Amino acid sequence: MPVYIARKLAFFLLAVLVASIAIFLLIRGAGGNVAAVILGKDATAEAINALAQQYGLDRPLFVQYFDWIGNLLQGDLGRSFRTNEPVTDLVVSRLSISIPLCVSGLILGLVIAIPAGTYSALNSDKPLGAVIALLSQVGIAVPVFWAGILLSLLFGVRLGWLPTGGWTNWDVSLWGAVRSLVLPVISLGLILGASLTRYVRSAVLDVMNQDYVRTARATGMTRMQALLQVGLRNAALPIATVVGLQIAELIGGTVIIETVFSLPGLSRMILANVAAREVIVVQSTVMLIIIFVMFINLIVDLLYGVLDPRVRLAR
Amino acid sequence: MTQPILKSFRLGLTMLTATAAILAAVPGVALAQTRAEEGKMILVARQDPGTLDYTKSNLTALRLWIPANVVEPLVYFNKDGSVAPGVAEAWKISDDKLTYTFTIREAKFSNGEPLTVEDVIYSLNAMKASPVSQNSAAYQAVTAIEKVDDRTVKVTLDRPSQNFWKGMGSTAGLIQPEASAETIATNPIGTGPYKLVSYTSNSSFEFTANENYWGDAPAIKDVTVRIITDGTAGLNALEAGEVDSLPVITIDLWEQLMARGLDKNFSMVTYPQIGEPTYAVINQKLDPELRQALAMTIDRQAYNDAFGASWGAENTCTFALPNQAWYAAESPESCPYPYDIEKVMALVAEKGYASTPLEYASLSDVPDLSLPADIMVPTMQAAGFNMSRNAIDLARYSQLIFQGRPPQFDVTVMSGDADPTQWACADEASAGWSTYCSAEYTQALADADEALTDEDYLALMQKSADILRKDAVIVPIIAKKGVGLFDPDLKGFVEPRVAVALEFAPLHW
Repeated sequence: MPVYIARKLAFFLLAVLVASIAIFLLIRGAGGNVAAVILGKDATAEAINALAQQYGLDRPLFVQYFDWIGNLLQGDLGRSFRTNEPVTDLVVSRLSISIPLCVSGLILGLVIAIPAGTYSALNSDKPLGAVIALLSQVGIAVPVFWAGILLSLLFGVRLGWLPTGGWTNWDVSLWGAVRSLVLPVISLGLILGASLTRYVRSAVLDVMNQDYVRTARATGMTRMQALLQVGLRNAALPIATVVGLQIAELIGGTVIIETVFSLPGLSRMILANVAAREVIVVQSTVMLIIIFVMFINLIVDLLYGVLDPRVRLAR
Repeated sequence: MTQPILKSFRLGLTMLTATAAILAAVPGVALAQTRAEEGKMILVARQDPGTLDYTKSNLTALRLWIPANVVEPLVYFNKDGSVAPGVAEAWKISDDKLTYTFTIREAKFSNGEPLTVEDVIYSLNAMKASPVSQNSAAYQAVTAIEKVDDRTVKVTLDRPSQNFWKGMGSTAGLIQPEASAETIATNPIGTGPYKLVSYTSNSSFEFTANENYWGDAPAIKDVTVRIITDGTAGLNALEAGEVDSLPVITIDLWEQLMARGLDKNFSMVTYPQIGEPTYAVINQKLDPELRQALAMTIDRQAYNDAFGASWGAENTCTFALPNQAWYAAESPESCPYPYDIEKVMALVAEKGYASTPLEYASLSDVPDLSLPADIMVPTMQAAGFNMSRNAIDLARYSQLIFQGRPPQFDVTVMSGDADPTQWACADEASAGWSTYCSAEYTQALADADEALTDEDYLALMQKSADILRKDAVIVPIIAKKGVGLFDPDLKGFVEPRVAVALEFAPLHW
């Protein structure tokens, strides 16, 4: 196990290095610079160059890269060119929205998917099982912005139960913050639930067709008993993989939900800063996400060993 | 066998029902009436400025909220042309219009620090050196900004300048404390009726009444400006009563606004100041006759119709807004190159323009600027032009078009400030992004700037507008109005006095 972890960590460091170079070059390759965005269309080239120089954007690329990565290694994520705010503060304030949104959305998705997918798999020959499978396909096909707008119109505009959008900060009103998140979480959870239901159904169906489950059933166990007692761990493996990938995707990938519900989350922050060519903010934030994603992947890999001893022994 | 799953379903359903019941039992979003009783108001912004440093940025998303509310100019120009005191409580203009003497009022900034002559001199110099040309252009004739005594500042010009005097009532004349210049990007300070409590990028601005304000306290103490970039979400919030106004509704939402009947349920205002001209830019390097032919493919009515709200925009061939005295709506007299596709087809055949490859650069992430391309490119192609379309995003557009040397386009469409001085150009080498450079136009503007009377100024501005029209480089399409929806109980809206700034202070429940 220690060798396995060491190998994973080495891979992690190498991937971080490659990713940092890729991010650095990609954002610059997109063209434009923050000085031009700030000064607008009527600015002279001299004014833009002067501001770019003030921001240090005229330095050679490798100097800018090592400056950024050196600060990053010391825990300094840099500052926004436009507002001089530390990137750390920006990220922390956005995570206070994005983390509850993603975690709650994922939990809701699992709450929907695990029973629905399992039921659908165990009753694939019955009408309700087929209906659940059909609904999950429909759910996958529904664009998330459409679901969000419909929920906002129904619960916000027509019924007036919940805010149509916007954000009340945690320190202003705990209840207000929760209310701000309800519709986005439901939108996210429903869409996630639909796609996860497919994975759960597929994983359970695979397991139920295995010899050891058939053997268990031959001893007199019901399908549910066989699934719970001998099939669950195997069925959990692919589900854990998908959930891990979903977490990684969600943390920076909820831009549509955040836009529809006007939530100042991490995804919108990244998008706005890409548009403004705030290179330091984008580079540092994306690096944090990459590190987080790789950490999640590491956890999932380690979880494999716990869920399936064969995986651990093979390593 | 399936009982545990069914139980889990039932449990989930019960929990969802219970949650819904709890949420329904909780009072809904604060209604406008509650906010009225609490002295609050919530407005919606469609764009996030990213920075509040108005000395470096001229984004409308910034100029809507900070000037006039937080930071004041030296004077205010009213709609009727009269001038009202701002940071300056009095002023004296010499007969030759070369000396302006401002008496600064005894007042405090919102942070409690006293307003001083040094702050005024610092602010004017900061604007003089501003990289934003609209700010610095006001100071082109200024030779000295001096302290006379502890309450008096004298500005000396080397020639009369209408731009200077008008600038003192606009963003060029905004006064800030020198000591707070470092934090202007996140917390601008001023002497206005409100102070900024917080600004959270992509979320909101929070304002509260400035207890140090020199004038009457505003009727509404707390103002929140929620940043809702999705237009439909903004209209939903208004309809749900979560917000009290969308004071700036962009053209892409006008059709939806009417389809939802919001124009009937809310007070709708239209006002020119915050409007913008939408105009085609045809590269000046092209042959003048080719430019004129391209201008004749622009079907203004088709573009206007595409938004389904004729009350919000006027077809025009004049680079101006209806509040500018030299503005003229589309007419045979004011349009030297009206839409005439058959004439263009004949010209293309006659002159052989089909062999000239042309590129239309369109801004892909701004709906009302990509729409003209949807209409114009097929029309130009149908007329026989060899036109291709290049759709690019804003930052790339800024690099290629605004900062491009030489300009990388043949036709593009832009929407922006109605300031005609942006097309002034000393010589061809210093032509801006538009490629336009006309000595005649620039001279006409310079003459207008030096006009000693308003009548002379108007006549010279009309002359410059006519030159611009005939040159067929900057080709206006429509003049969009500012459109706002307000809760019917929220009264007192006044048209912006400081550029596009929406003043909170006159609003009341």
